Amino acid sequence: MADKKKMIEVINLNKWFGQFHVLKDVNLTVRDGEKYVICGPSGSGKSTLIRCINQLEHHQEGDILVGGVQVEKKGTNSRLIRAQVGMVFQSFNLFPHLSVLENCTLTPQLGLEMPKAQAEDIAMKHLKRVGIEDQALKYPLQLSGGQQQRVAIARALTMQPKIMLFDEPTSALDPEMISEVLDVMVELAQDGMTMICVTHEMGFARQVADKVIFMDGGEIVESGDPESFFAAPKYDRSKAFLSHIL
Amino acid sequence: MTDTSEPLVFQPAPSRPAPSDSVGFVGWMRANLFKDIPNALLTILGAYIAFVVLSWVLNWALFNAVWEAENRRECLDLVGRSGACWPGVYVWFENMIYGLYPKDQVWRINIGFALLIVWMVPMWMPKVVSKVQIGLSAVLIYPFIASYFFMGGDKGLVWSAFIALSLAGLICVWATAISETMTGKSIGNWIVTKLGAENDSEAKQKRIKQIAAAILFVVALLVVSQWSLQEVRTRFWGGLFLTLVISGFGITFSLPAGILLALGRRSDLPVIAMLSTAFIELFRSVPLITILFMFNTMLPLFMPAGTEVNQLLRAIVAVCLFAAAYMAEVVRGGLQAIPKGQMEAAQSLGLGYWRTTTLIVLPQALKIMIPAIVGNFIGLFKDTTLVSIIGLFDLMNMARAVGEDTTWLGLFIEPFFVVVMIYFVFCFAMSSYSMRLEEKLATGRDR
Repeated sequence: MADKKKMIEVINLNKWFGQFHVLKDVNLTVRDGEKYVICGPSGSGKSTLIRCINQLEHHQEGDILVGGVQVEKKGTNSRLIRAQVGMVFQSFNLFPHLSVLENCTLTPQLGLEMPKAQAEDIAMKHLKRVGIEDQALKYPLQLSGGQQQRVAIARALTMQPKIMLFDEPTSALDPEMISEVLDVMVELAQDGMTMICVTHEMGFARQVADKVIFMDGGEIVESGDPESFFAAPKYDRSKAFLSHIL
Repeated sequence: MTDTSEPLVFQPAPSRPAPSDSVGFVGWMRANLFKDIPNALLTILGAYIAFVVLSWVLNWALFNAVWEAENRRECLDLVGRSGACWPGVYVWFENMIYGLYPKDQVWRINIGFALLIVWMVPMWMPKVVSKVQIGLSAVLIYPFIASYFFMGGDKGLVWSAFIALSLAGLICVWATAISETMTGKSIGNWIVTKLGAENDSEAKQKRIKQIAAAILFVVALLVVSQWSLQEVRTRFWGGLFLTLVISGFGITFSLPAGILLALGRRSDLPVIAMLSTAFIELFRSVPLITILFMFNTMLPLFMPAGTEVNQLLRAIVAVCLFAAAYMAEVVRGGLQAIPKGQMEAAQSLGLGYWRTTTLIVLPQALKIMIPAIVGNFIGLFKDTTLVSIIGLFDLMNMARAVGEDTTWLGLFIEPFFVVVMIYFVFCFAMSSYSMRLEEKLATGRDR
């Protein structure tokens, strides 16, 4: 594993919101094909960490390298970075005024400058992969939450990203729909995608994660492979957290 | 405890029809008009008031009205003040619509406005695809040809070119409409196909389209150069015509300018944000009437001696800037209603600022802003009556002029009644159209 290419490197990352120190000296290395699960109480900085990686938030200190490219602190090369990184949000963030298909052809047509027909082929391929191909002409708000989140995953995949970030993708879903989204994510993981997932779905973590990271107060408290993390967390903070969610 | 291995099958209870007195017309009356005794009393009272007002208006405007008379005296002798005196309005009606525009040239105004309708008709044709382009062309290049119809006079080469652009645009719009309706192809592709070049490279096809456009433009320019209209100075413009010109410019300018100002105010670039905010706040904190005065009387003082800016133009500029500042705040409200997640999603998909704004944020924001935008348009349309203050004879001022005519001295209510009707028709049309638009755009949003 250690010889694989480093996809994401976070070195001594520090970030403040005003006076509030949200990320404190965070270090993280994700290699090609690795799956990381980040968990922790709300306000621990886990979302902020992955949002820094694709430049939705700008950091003040430290370095972030994505695919070997240094992320500029002022966001001057954010488009270069974002082209490699797909992101799935807690609240789906599909574009409600565009059909499912149009949501998915947007990037291929504009970002990758493909002709419409080719972009539609790609979009349909990814929609099929998440099992929504027969809903392609509907509008997002006509779909259930689980379906919307699957469309959001397909939409992120149309950029052909090397890394996928998931920001609590199942937290806004009804319990009945969580598994359909997790199934898609598991499949994606099995296809070898590099993934960082902020999630509290510990079953998912057990099944696919190479490493589980526990964050609190803006710091990485501990990280380890899922089996040992779940079986024997080292810190009292992680123990207390696990006892609440398991 | 039963020990069946078969699971129980859940059977939802069948739906029953609603009780008959809660549906249909009777149900509606019962629920809304006669729910209880106070409600029923209010309904009867309301109906009575409506009856009294309506019968009074109808008596005055129709049954007691005078339809033929030489002057106001005759009217008063016939019915006193109990009935309207319509002949005065009838005599002045043309002036209320066209101002003091020469009578033998009035057809130019009619043609100018008819052209706009002709230009817009394809937007309501079901098979036409390029509706956005047609709408944009109506806003951006129609005004040239209309302005020439209205103003006439000498046209230099530059002015001719703009008019030719307008003419070519109109032809293009209809060629597009026809070719898209008949063949489903854009006009450019239709020409390419007719020339048998549909299998050629894209660059060559583009070239053909450019040449076709150039030929059309040259022909239009030749036509335009062969044709001229006598000049009608803008001080003869007036009535509804003037109102429509001023508010037309105000409306078409205020929306794009308002959008830019609103984006500017929310911009991350401090200079742009500051300038936009300063402009908006300045124009919003001054009454329109003051701005009109400033532009009318003070602007010439600051201009170099000898330059004369047309009074109408000054009024139009003042109205446009004022309207843009108001529109900017409406648009900003709409922009703020779009969840931040939409922008983040667009950014994370690699779209830049302009694409995020034009493809993701604005379409959604404009849709929810339609009522507010149209409200602003209606307000602006009515606000243009203020130009009468600086001596322009818009519809309102023209109506007042009727009562100052010695033959019809004191005849104010009747012309104002007509003005009210005209304003109502225009404003109600705008309002209904916006509602239809809202309904149409809402499809696909709801489950």
